[in-house]
Amino acid sequence: MTGYRWDFASVFGNWQILAQGLVGTFQLAALSLGAGLLLGLLVGAGRYSRNRLLHWPATAYVEVFRNTPVLVQIMWFFFAFPIVAPFQVSAYIAAALALSLNTGAFAAEIFRAGIQSIARDQWDAARALGMSYPQQLRRVILPQAVKRMLPAFTNRGLELLKMTSLASAIAFPELLYAARTIATVHFNPIEAYTSVALIYLAIAWPLTQLVYAVERTLRRQE
Amino acid sequence: MEYQWDFTVVWRNSHLLLWGLLGTLKVTAAALALGLPLGLTVALMRLSRARAVSLAAGVFVEFFRSTPPLVQLFWCFFALPILIGVRVDSFQAAVMTLSIQSSAFFAEVFRGGIVSVERGQWEAARALGMTYRQLLRRVVLPQAVKRMIPAFLERAIELMKTTTLVATVAYADLLFEASDIAQKTFRPLEVFTAAAAIYFVVIFAASRVVQVSERRLARSGESTAH
Repeated sequence: MTGYRWDFASVFGNWQILAQGLVGTFQLAALSLGAGLLLGLLVGAGRYSRNRLLHWPATAYVEVFRNTPVLVQIMWFFFAFPIVAPFQVSAYIAAALALSLNTGAFAAEIFRAGIQSIARDQWDAARALGMSYPQQLRRVILPQAVKRMLPAFTNRGLELLKMTSLASAIAFPELLYAARTIATVHFNPIEAYTSVALIYLAIAWPLTQLVYAVERTLRRQE
Repeated sequence: MEYQWDFTVVWRNSHLLLWGLLGTLKVTAAALALGLPLGLTVALMRLSRARAVSLAAGVFVEFFRSTPPLVQLFWCFFALPILIGVRVDSFQAAVMTLSIQSSAFFAEVFRGGIVSVERGQWEAARALGMTYRQLLRRVVLPQAVKRMIPAFLERAIELMKTTTLVATVAYADLLFEASDIAQKTFRPLEVFTAAAAIYFVVIFAASRVVQVSERRLARSGESTAH
């Protein structure tokens, strides 16, 4: 412990690599969050459906992606999927596919739980007003449900941000991969990994505080 | 061109995959065995009336919940050995990282469970002249732990999923063995699919157990602490 000379200059001298990595992290997180939420809404509605042809595939998808490790999903899309895929699969595409599908499966459960938490009478009242199913969902149920789902979604966003670091395992240039690059070239793993840990903390910590704040506000309102 | 599937590769290397699964279970068990007591300690520190103690525990929890576990693992594997001048192998780094990381989550489960025990129980125990330790061990924890069981099992499953990260530091878990076999046989599609299937079977079975335990507790009138 004694005698080690910390040298953070060698890390921040390479701030371009870190900045590039940060951009990669945000890109991957934003794309996967957007695609995952959309997919989650569709699949969540599918799982809620009485039609077996919709219900079964939706359930199978959710169970598979929730019950396998996300790193296995990423590796599968990078090493196995290209063999059957009709297109080129880059590290970015593989990571985005895995993380979107993973987020979609968790989001589907959040949507389902949120929609189920709305009292039966709300549906009945909307139907009594002559609304169609999509109208009931869009005008009456979702506006109430989404509010309740907010903490769970923010939490998913946080998990997703942390999960993007796994893309470094398939050499996608995100933040952790940037640290790896710097550590390999400059022999400074202590400073490089400490720095990115602090950068992740700086991004994620406000997010966790946001989750707490949203939870507190909702509890006061309900 | 139609791809020719050949799952015999998986069959021929099944002993390696099982060996990997054993490695996965070993890391999970070790991290659980260390993470649970550490989590309880941190939870009690967080509930402490001494501000410095509860603040330190709070920072610990927030730090390990807010940073990616893979970053923590790389830090333990690549940075820590230089800092302390001791060799750390991949198993030690994996167990260290995962037990500390999961303890931050376990601490929150413990805290939720302990806080959920009604004030009256604490007061009654104290009125009987119990010390803080006795009160925790005899009255509060037995009730709290029962409510926490589903949340604990859920965290244990998350922990098992997280153990796949140790493959990146070359610890021979299931995922690492699968990558290795895929590289040697040029059959990544079959091998990775099989590995995913093995993970699915184990984790899906564990999730069912969680659901059953949740239903049982709901029937016995205990709500679950999340």
